Parts: sequence; C-alpha cells; structure tokens
Amino acid sequence: MSSNTPSSSAAAAAGSAESSAARRNSKRPKYSKFTQQELPACKPILTPGWVISTFLIISVIFIPLGVIYLFASQDVVEIVDRYDTECIPPSDRANKVAYIQGAANKSCTRTLTVPKEMKQPIYVYYQLENFYQNHRRYVKSRSDSQLRSVKDENQIDACKPEDDFGGQPIVPCGLIAWSLFNDTYTLSRKNQPLAVNKKGIAWKSDKEHKFGKNVFPKNFQKGNITGGAKLNPNIPLSEQEDLIVWMRTAALPTFRKLYGKIESDLHKGDTIEVNLQNNYNTYSFSGKKKLVLSTTSWLGGKNDFLGIAYLTVGGICFVLALAFTVMYLVKPRRLGDPTYLSWNRIPGGR
Amino acid sequence: MVRPGELSVDSSTNHLRTPSRTVTLGRIQPQAPTYRTVYCNDRDSNYLVRLKCLHGNSISTTKYNVFTFLPKGLFEQFRRIANIYFLGISCLSMTPISPVNPITNVAPLSMVLLVSLIKEAFEDWKRFQNDMSINNSTVEVLQDQLWVPIPWRKLQVGDIIKIKKDGFFPADLLFLSSINPDGICYVETANLDGETNLKIRKALERTWDYLTPEKASEFNGEIQCEQPNNSLYTFTGNLIVEKQTLPLSPDQLLLRGCSLRNTEYIVGAVIFTGHETKVMMNAMNAPSKRSTLEKKLDKLIITIFCALVIMCLIGAIGCAIVTDRDHFYLGLHKKDCEYRNGLTYYLLVPQIAFFTFFTLVILFSTIIPISLYVSIEMIKFIQSTQFINRDLHMYHVETNTPASARTSNLNEELGQVEYIFSDKTGTHTRNLMEFFKCSIGGISYGCGITEIERGIAQRDGLKIHEEQRSTGAIREKGFNFDDPRLMRGGWRNEPNPNLCKEFFRCLAICHTVLPEGDESPEKIVYQAASPDEAALVTAAKNFGFFFYRRTPTMVSVRESHTEQMGKIQDVSYEILNVLEFNSTRKRQSVVCRYPDGRLVLYCKGADTVIFERLASGMDDVRKVTGEHLEHFGSSGLRTLCLAYKDLNPEAYDSWNERFIEAKSALRDREKKLDEVAELIEKDLILIGSTAIEDKLQEGVPTCIETLSRAGVKIWVLTGDKMETAINIAYACNLINNEMKQFIISSETNAIKEAEERGNQVEIERVIKEEVKKELKKSLEEAQQYLRTVGGPKLALVIDGKCLMYALDPALRITLLSLSLNCTSVVCCRVSPLQKAQVTSLVRKGAKKITLSIGDGANDVSMIQAAHVGVGISGMEGMQAVMASDFAIAQFRFLTDLLLVHGRWSYLRICKVVMYFFYKNLTFTLTQFWFTFRTGFSGQRFYDDWFQSLYNVFFTALPVIVLGLFEKDVSASLSKRYPELYREGIRNSFFKWRVVAVWASSAVYQSLVCYLFVTASAFDGKNSSGKTFGLWDVSTMVFTCLVIAVNLRILLMSNSITRWHHITVGGSILAWLVFAFVYCGIMTPRDRNENVYFVIYVLMSTFYFYFTLLLVPVVALLADFIYQGVERWFLPYDYQIVQEIHRHEPDSSNADQLEIANELTPEEARSYAISQLPREISKHTGFAFDSPGYESFFASQLGIYAPQKAWDVARRASMRSRPKAPKKN
Repeated sequence: MSSNTPSSSAAAAAGSAESSAARRNSKRPKYSKFTQQELPACKPILTPGWVISTFLIISVIFIPLGVIYLFASQDVVEIVDRYDTECIPPSDRANKVAYIQGAANKSCTRTLTVPKEMKQPIYVYYQLENFYQNHRRYVKSRSDSQLRSVKDENQIDACKPEDDFGGQPIVPCGLIAWSLFNDTYTLSRKNQPLAVNKKGIAWKSDKEHKFGKNVFPKNFQKGNITGGAKLNPNIPLSEQEDLIVWMRTAALPTFRKLYGKIESDLHKGDTIEVNLQNNYNTYSFSGKKKLVLSTTSWLGGKNDFLGIAYLTVGGICFVLALAFTVMYLVKPRRLGDPTYLSWNRIPGGR
Repeated sequence: MVRPGELSVDSSTNHLRTPSRTVTLGRIQPQAPTYRTVYCNDRDSNYLVRLKCLHGNSISTTKYNVFTFLPKGLFEQFRRIANIYFLGISCLSMTPISPVNPITNVAPLSMVLLVSLIKEAFEDWKRFQNDMSINNSTVEVLQDQLWVPIPWRKLQVGDIIKIKKDGFFPADLLFLSSINPDGICYVETANLDGETNLKIRKALERTWDYLTPEKASEFNGEIQCEQPNNSLYTFTGNLIVEKQTLPLSPDQLLLRGCSLRNTEYIVGAVIFTGHETKVMMNAMNAPSKRSTLEKKLDKLIITIFCALVIMCLIGAIGCAIVTDRDHFYLGLHKKDCEYRNGLTYYLLVPQIAFFTFFTLVILFSTIIPISLYVSIEMIKFIQSTQFINRDLHMYHVETNTPASARTSNLNEELGQVEYIFSDKTGTHTRNLMEFFKCSIGGISYGCGITEIERGIAQRDGLKIHEEQRSTGAIREKGFNFDDPRLMRGGWRNEPNPNLCKEFFRCLAICHTVLPEGDESPEKIVYQAASPDEAALVTAAKNFGFFFYRRTPTMVSVRESHTEQMGKIQDVSYEILNVLEFNSTRKRQSVVCRYPDGRLVLYCKGADTVIFERLASGMDDVRKVTGEHLEHFGSSGLRTLCLAYKDLNPEAYDSWNERFIEAKSALRDREKKLDEVAELIEKDLILIGSTAIEDKLQEGVPTCIETLSRAGVKIWVLTGDKMETAINIAYACNLINNEMKQFIISSETNAIKEAEERGNQVEIERVIKEEVKKELKKSLEEAQQYLRTVGGPKLALVIDGKCLMYALDPALRITLLSLSLNCTSVVCCRVSPLQKAQVTSLVRKGAKKITLSIGDGANDVSMIQAAHVGVGISGMEGMQAVMASDFAIAQFRFLTDLLLVHGRWSYLRICKVVMYFFYKNLTFTLTQFWFTFRTGFSGQRFYDDWFQSLYNVFFTALPVIVLGLFEKDVSASLSKRYPELYREGIRNSFFKWRVVAVWASSAVYQSLVCYLFVTASAFDGKNSSGKTFGLWDVSTMVFTCLVIAVNLRILLMSNSITRWHHITVGGSILAWLVFAFVYCGIMTPRDRNENVYFVIYVLMSTFYFYFTLLLVPVVALLADFIYQGVERWFLPYDYQIVQEIHRHEPDSSNADQLEIANELTPEEARSYAISQLPREISKHTGFAFDSPGYESFFASQLGIYAPQKAWDVARRASMRSRPKAPKKN
C-alpha cells in the first residue's frame, strides 16, 4: 500500500505534472552504450570458411618465406672441426685434465679442407659445448660499472669469488672475465699465413658503451689458479674484443663465439692448416671444443631451423586446410543447427 | 529525581511482558543494567550523558580515518593469502639466494597494494561525504525561546526540537506535543522495518501543551530511560515533570530514520543521539559473502602452488646432480668452498640444492598471478556499479527504482544459481488486492474473469471474448468489480436488498481502516493494516457506502440509495467493541450501535470459522455460498465470509461487562479476550462472501517459466495458508496438473485427533511419525517416477509444522533427497527461521548454489542464509534490501539479473581467471625450460623489469577489457535461450577439464616460444657474423611471448570491441616502447647492464622479423585448431546460438525488435496461466493477512514480539480518550 503514502504518490504524479522536477529526481540510469553493454563489436565465429581460409593464408605466406630462408641458408658454407680430443697426445688421453693443467707444449695442428667456394669475409668461431655460461653463479659474477669507468673499479661486490687480489680490485673482475677463453688459432694456406682480423668482432654497442676506453686490466689472473687468458694491461678494455665477445654471455650451454675474420676468399679444395694452442680446460667437465669457419648470408650464418620451420608450418597448414575441408564434407553440420543444442539432444551432453 | 525503586518496579513489569527476548533487527545486545537521565532544555546538566557519546549527533560510517588508513588498510590487504605469499617472496628476494633483483617482486606487489588502497580510500571517501551530508542537514532547535536551525551533528541530548511534516527525525526523540490537538502524530517507519503504512504515536497528555517556543522553553522534565540498545519495539522509562512521574512507552518514542507524515509539526526532546540511536545500534553490515567461484579459485591457486613446489623440487634435484666442482669456471672451488674438501664436499651438495630450491621458488613465483585478485575486483566493481546498477532493463519506472548491487563480490555467483527461494507476498504478488467478486445471500455477483480462469479456458481451446464492461464501470485501486446488478443502487432491485444492505454495511463498518485526506470519495486514502481490508472498504465506497471518518468511538458512513434512489445521508455508527483479528480466531468482529439504537455485531472471517458459528436453519444459503467459495478459490481469489447478528441490549450489556473485565486482565489477556469473543460470536446470520484478487506481480509467470527453462528450481517459502500458496503456485506456473504433487500437511486426521487430545508430547510424537511416514512414502514414489522415462515432473508441498519435524536431523536427508527430485517445492506457513533453515539445508546439504529473494523483514534471515540474497526494493521498505546483496524492483528483473548479468559475469570471470592462469603459466614455463639448460642454477631468463612489468603492465589491460566486454551472445538472446544458463549451473567453464586444456595450451606455447627461439638463435645472426648472448635470446622470447599472449585474448573473445583492439595493440606497443627506452639508456645505478641496446641489436637482424612472424603464429595455431575442432564436433550451446543468429545485427535495434515481438505482460501472464489445472480444486482460498502475523510466528518460536503499539489496526480500540471530533 505504499502508493497510498503521500510521498510516493506524489512521485508518481510528478511524472506528468512537474516533468522537469521529475527528471531531476528520477533515478533512471542514463543511457550509454557502455553501461548498457551495447558497444559495437565484431563477433568472429570460427566457421569452416574462416578456419580453412586462415590455414590457406598461413600456408601461402609461410611456404615462400621458408623457401627464401632455406635458399639463403644454403648459400652459407661452414667448416666445423672438433679438436678437443685430437689435440691431446694419445699418451695423455687417459688423463686429459692433468695434461691440460700441466706445463707441456699445447700446440696442435689441424688440417681443414674447403668443400666449396667461400667468399670473404669468412668468420672464425670457436664453439664450446656443455659450458654453462648461463649459470647463475657465472652470469652475475661481473661488474658492469667497473668495466665502464675507472672510478667504479672498486665496485666488485658481485664478482665473488674473483673480486680482489690481496685487497686490490681485479679489473675486469668476476668469473666471466677470469675464465676468458684462451685457445688461439693460427691459420695458413699452402704455407702462406692467412691473416685473421680480430677487430670488429664485438657488437658496437658493447664496445662503445659497456667497456671503458680508459679502463685497463689490473691484477688480472694473479691468483693461485689461472682461469683462462691473460690480458695485456696496456690495452684498454674497449679494445679487448675477445673479452667483450666472451663477456656477452651465451644463452645456452652450447654456443659459438666469434674469434676473427679472414678477409680473403677460400677456394674449393683448399687445405687450411690450423696451428692452435689448446690451452683452455674443458676436459674437467667434458666439454667439447670446435673450430668453425663460416661465411654468412644476409640472414646470418648457416641455420636451417627457421627455414624448415616455416616450410613445415606452411605445409601443415595446407594439410590442415585440406583435412578440415574433408572433415566438413565427411561430417557436415549445418551452421546453427538447433538439434545440436544440449537441451534438444538426449539428456546428458555437456 | 526518581527513586531507584520505582524504576526497578517498572523494569520488572517490563520483564513480565518480555519473558525471553525481544525481536531486534540485528544481533541482540545485552542491555546495560543502568539507566540514564536526560534533563530537557538543560544542556549543561547532560554533560554526563554527553561524555559517553562523544560525537554528539554526528554519525560516521567510515572504516578509516587519516591516521588509521595506512596501517588498517594494509592489514586488510595482507589478510589475503596471495598478498602474504608475495610479501614472503619479496622478502626472500632481498636475500642473496635470490636470482632476481628485489624490485621484480616488490614492484608488482606495491602496484597491487596501491590500486587496492586507492579503491578503499575512494569508497571510504564516498561514505564520508554521505555522512557529512547527513550530519549537516538542519533541524530547528529551541534556543532562547526561538526555533533556530542548526545542523544535525550539533544536536545534543536534552534539546527540544521541532520537526515539520515529511521531515526525518534526526535522533531518537521523546514525543512531547503535536499540532494535532489529541497529541498524536503519524510516522512512516519504512526505513526501519519496511512497513509503509503509517503508525500512530501518541504523546503523554501531560506534555501536550509544550508546543510553542515560549511554552516549550519552560519545559524542564527529566527523562529516566534505559541505556541505548538496539531493540526497536521496546522502550521503558519515566518522565518526571514537576515531581510527577509518568511512565513512558514506545508510543512516545520517535526513532531516527522515521519520518513525520500527515502532521504539520511536532515537538520532541532528544533522548539518544548519533550512534546511540536505535537505528544506528541496529546498523548491521551484511555478512560478507564470497562467491563459490572464488572458493574454487582458491583451490586452483593451491594446485598452482603445488605445481610450483614440484617444479622447484625438480630443479633442486637437478641442481644436486649437475652441480659439480669440475665446472671450474663457476668458482666453486674458491674461497667460500675452500675449507670444504674431501668428505665435506658431499655435504655441500644438499646444501646447494636446498638453497636452489628457494632460489627457484622466487624465480617461479610469477606462476601465481599476483594481479589476479585486484583485476577481478576491479572488473566486478565496474560490472556492478556500471552494468547492473545502470541497466535500463532493470529500472522500474513506476517506483523510480533502478537495480542496485550492494556488493560486488557475487556477480558471477548470479550465473550459477540453481535454487531460488522466494517469498510470495510482495515478491510474486503485488500485495495489491482488488475486490473482484462477491456472493450475497446465495447469489454470485461480479462478471469479471480472473486471469487464472482465462488461462484455464484458453487451454481448453475456448476463446474468451473480453466481455464488454458495462458503461461507467468503476475501476480503481483495490476495486475491479463489475456487475450492474449491484452497482449504482441496482441492488435495490435484487431478490434480497436488505441482505445486500447488511453486506455493504458490514464492509463499511467492520474493519480497522483509517481514512486520510479529504473526505470525498475521490480523494480519500485508506490506511489499512492489510491491503485486503482497504480493498473491502473501497468496495463499500463504490457500492454507495462511503466510509469517510473514524473517531475512536464512531464510524461515519455516507450512504446512498438506502431509502430511495439517489438519496445521500451521513450516518454515524457508534463502535462499541472491536474483536480483533488474529490467526487463531481467523475472524474479526465489530459491535456497533445504529443511530436508531439498533445493536448489531458484524463479523468477517474464514469460511470454516464462520460456518461453524452460524445460526441453525441456514443450510441452503450455506451450501450455495460454500459452492461459490470453492469456485472463487479455484479462480485464485482470496475469500472472506461475512455475517451479522442483531444483539439484545440486555444480553449485550452483560457480555460487555465480561469483555471489559477481560480487557483489563493483566494475565493472559489475549486468551481471555478470545474466550469472551466466543460467547458473542455465535448464532450468526450469513450474509455472503467476498472474493479478492491478489494481483500477481507483472511478468512473474513468464519469469518463472524462463527461469525454470534455465534449469533453475524455484521454491516458494511463504507464511500463507497452504491453499493460498498452492493457488499462487498454480498462477505462477510453478505447479501444474501434469505434475505429481506430494502434499505433506499437518492437517491430517491423525494429527488433528492427537491435537484434540491435547497432550503436547503425544502431539509431537504423532506428527513426527506422520511426517516420517509421508516422507518415506513420497520418496519411494518419487524414485519410482524418476526411474520411468518421461515420467511426470514432481512437486512437493509441505507446511511449516511438518517442516519443523522434517528438518530434524534424522529426517533431513530424506527431505533433502525428496525435495531435490522435485521441480517445484512450496513451503507454506513457515516462519522466518524456517525459511533460513530450508535455505541452508539446500546450501549445505546439497552443495548447490542458492538465491533467496524477498521483500520483507521476515525474509531477512533467508536472504542472509543463501549464497545470494536479493531484496525487492521500491515497493516495500528497506529491511530486506539492507540485508541483501542485490536489490531489484520487481521479481521479473531476476531474468535480467541472472540470465544476462549473472551469466555474463560468470563467463567473464571464468575467462579472466583462465587467462590469468594461462598467461602466467606460459611465462613461468619458459623460465622453467630455460632452467634445464642452465644446470638448474636458477638463473633468470628475463631482465628484472621485464618480469615485473609483465603482469602489471604488458598483459594487464586486455584481460580487464575481456572481463568487462566479453559477450558470447547478446542480452536478448540470453533471455530468449534461457537454457544457455545451464552452462553456468553445470559450471562448464571452470572445470578441471578446462583448466587442463588451458594448462596444455600454456605448455605448448611456452615450448614453442622457448624452443623455436633458442634453436634458431645459435650461430652468427647478422651478416657480419656476430652472435647473440643470453639477453638477446631472452628478449626475443619475451617479445614473442607478449605478442602471443596478447593475441590469445582476441582468439578467446566472442565479441571484439574497439577496446580490445586498443588494449591489445596498446600492450604490445607498450612493450616495444618500453624496450626501446629501457634498452636505450644506461642507468647511473650500479646494476648489470644486461639488456643495454639488446632490442636494437635484435632489430638490426632479419632474424628478428622472421622469428617474430613465425613464433606467435605457431604458438597460437594449436589453440586455433583446438577451437575449430571443438566448435565443429562438440559445440557449446552458446556457439550454436551464435551461429543461428550470426547474421543478425547485435545492437539496441535487435533489442527493440525483441520488445516489439514480446507479448505484453498481460498476454504473457494469461499465456502462462493457460497451463493451469482443468479440474476445480477443492480449496476455497481463504486468505487474510493479519497484522499480528509476525508475532504469531514469533510466539510459536518462543520469541516474544510485542504487539506494535502503533499498529493502525489497534487504533480503533483505543477508547481511553474522551470523545473529541478530529480536526482536519
């Protein structure tokens, strides 16, 4: 009986009489597309047509891309030579670690045959396997500020256990620098030395911004145990490109790093003598060492993975397009067939 | 000063009257044993009282103030387990074992806390402003013999204030005087108890004069009263004026929250202020409910946590195996390990593994989505404030009430409701009675056809022509009767005009209605305790017996056509006695004296009680009337029988003595009054019967039909009689004749016999036996029906008394399994407590999601007991609404609330949760795969900032847009295909199966992103042969991941708005912009410049672009295939519906079309009623809501609910005052 009370009946009567007042008092929500949830929207429905044409479009785009990529990758010539075992004299192979830690002469000669014409520049890589450059202890054991500027050379907190030597900071500190790769390669062809250019092997951004031009190695490799290569204390870090390359830690335990460039063409059938100093200890953790000579295409080095992936995905999509077509033909279902509604089917369903 | 002894006497009598407890709105508070003294008009003397109530009359409902906000707010936030978890992770990440910078975990946590705190602050600010506006509204207070307006907050105990018409009482007042000479005023208590009929308050005669400011300032009474408490209907105290002690009762108390009506102004003294007022003491926070989905979400989180532990264990074990001093470059042989050689080395490995475990916990902590809760909260908040509260479909024009979500916790719960418990009156029915038919002296009048009858006829294939209403037929509120035989004096030509006259007089005299307003037929407003009464008086008015004035002793009726056609005369009948209605008597009588001295008793009541008391020799009329009653009843009408009796003055006088004696009895007054009434209410002469139509709420049958198609089962829990309840159930389409009905009633012979014998213990035993037997039998039968295919649907009807025993723990299971097998259940004659019990039975026993809907104070317990409580707002008061989670104006809006908002919310929240789960799992898994290749060292794959911003920045917005705008089908289709709702009841979108699908999708995508990028990033990557490092690869993976995860949103959306495009594109762009800026700068702080220039290096290679195209496409391909296959072979219902309507534009246009095609409510109702039973039911549909209804149930429960002193119904029997014509 609420409308009997003056207030509410007045509110009802106000509708006609005092429309402006009523509008002011009205609690009627204002219309807006947002609050009424009527925003314009597109409603994609995965109809067979859409599914099949999506697959077709993907395959049409992906297959040519895959072909292009593979062609580019095919142009690349790559010579890989694993030398970690071969470079140990047979007598010492029983105890490789002792040999590598010993003082014996570690030089070793490898002979490579060029399978195809290789246009310059030819890149020389070393490849390590089972070497965890991405280990947490390892990755964090560096000091970027120390590398960048002289005044921060005491910022060595992160570098443990290679932080200082007798109280003096080590520059560059940390495990990464300490374990710098120290095998060296000297290449020659028909007894003519092949020059290996060690400049321009690091990313420019690293060289220019992350490693200081006036930061010089200090107290480096002076501890009881030597990890790897030593650095010339007279060359600033920004010019120590081997170090810069090494310190861009790799993502996976198998990685390649650029050693240098050969700036002359190699011809098919050429034999190349590599005189290497097998200094680096990968034997204690049975890591592999490989020497790689490779040309590049505009896409980079030899890597068929993406090309094959593109081709496969393109192919699969094409097959799927066919499969879905067949599926729709074999088991057709009228779009929006009400008999498929669960309440029109036999009790049960989803 | 009052002597303490006097007060204790008063309170002891009070104890006599209240044997156990008083009924309050909220929890019961122990009353302070002491009393307080308030000195009127004397601010200084009240300092003692004021000391206790520091804030005066200002109120504050805020949760925090400036100082407590931060500690209290943070404490609230950390009560959430997820936040504690991240706090722990953040602390862990400060330790050296952490693989990440602490910022990674601290930043998102602070972001989440900040957002939550801002939200809290905003809400509290709104509450504060609301309080301020209340505190600053003005009231006129007496100062120096003048009425001075001051703000409410400055009001103090003892102040004398003046309230004008329609004003609200600012505090609890002692009513001193009124402009009305008889010291009464009318108040509306809708804000308190939801009752909209006006209540009368009466000032003590002693204080009537203190009306003018001059006089009032002389008032220096002392009020001794109880301490503030929350009992709304009790008040004891004394007023001491000039050494005279006057007892005070609730009649003199004007409560804050009520408003003054129909009285020009009143004067009162402030007793309780601010938080001490009864309404504030009653302020209760609706119990905070958590949605079922959220509880399931907790389970999911725990599962994720287990997964996290397993991942970390794998990592730790792997670490123990791989860690090896032979990897000399890791420096394990140096310094910190130097002293550990030989044997101790083997101790080191478990140690490292142990620390690695925690390192990995921090590393993988992103698997638990930190921003999930805050995002869901935001989504729900917008859903409730913007969508539900502002839905035009749920706005009721007539009452000017929009829907209101009072909590935003339960939006998605609305999408899973399986059981609805509904109150009947005011919920299904409008509680708007219309006089529809009558039977006088064995002749049935009224040619209208009820909707129920129309429905029956239509189902039989008969066409009903809308009968031409006779010209000039009157139709007004409460009156929908048309028969020229009776109207406009036509009754004079009927066979029995004298009986007709008695009929009309009985209608006009025998009632407790109060007329208000102008004394003209058009403008008068009847205030009645029950709408039936008002309808009957309105009917009398339209028959030419216009009741226009009531004084305590007189009823004035303007009678026309009595002596001759067209003649009008005012007749005043002296009311000698009123024998009130109560639910045991089921009748009401009035003894009146005609101006010519004739003494008559008019009586109206239920057919059964009237028929028992008829004089002999009336069998014919009785039989015919009985038939009419049956007919009325089967048409869904509420009936009452009328009778009268001429009294012999001598006999009356002797009876009246006994009556007065009974009335002044101190003990068992009610019972004695009933006994006395029996003596005179006999040998009655039957006049006839009335039939009132209880109008259904608009759209109720349609709504119920829609909901039951949606798989929702509706139970009606009502205090009405079984017959009425069944009637309404038929009318609402809850029960139809195709259903097998199980009726468990306490009105069986066995029980009746036992009751007649009167032994309480035996009665109980018999009822229990009967109920048990019935339940067992019904259950067996029900199971038999269920086994047969295509058997009938089942319905259960049970009454409150039986329910009491059926709810016994021993029988509960039987009751539950029986009722769960029934499509509809009707419980009648149930008390508010039983309503709650039934609700909890289903909620806890059957573990189904329940919703209760009701409009009155008696529904509060039920509303709070259910998962979701819905209050009907607008018509009735606030009580149910205050306790509810959602308030809607009409029952039919449930369709929109459940089928549209609930379903969408459920769908959205499911998708949001799944998406959060997926995106964090994908992200963390790439990290997990990487761990395998780092010697399980716990090296992080991504830069700190990438990782911390992934959740709060690069993937945060699209999912919120998804949670706001996702729509599988439009609102109109949701209502057109209510069956779609069943997906929510079955919880199709939040099953472990769905979780598994998403999890496998996450595994697949993370593998694709991780493997494809790492496998291809091996050798020289640009034309000058330079190679990538760790951070180049990880940035590449991260880029692919951000793109794939963001695009996945589009793939899972059913409706893609502009906002989807903006946020998805924006998120990807945000990542790129961030990468450009972040990689382009060197921060001055000491940190590893890992990602310096990385993005530029990447973008300088063709590799970047080739990968960027390939990886996201491959990552999403599997999901695409899955969705394609699923849609084709195992389509969800909504997908079929989408397909059916794929060509229809979806906008308001479609809605308008929909509305145009929709049946009008009237048509829809008649359509629904067409499902009604063919045979005439045998019940007569007596129904007469009594004002004492609630106290009746309360007393059955052993709770004493005092008769409300201000009930209009009792007004008529107030004879304490000498005759005084009421001025108007």
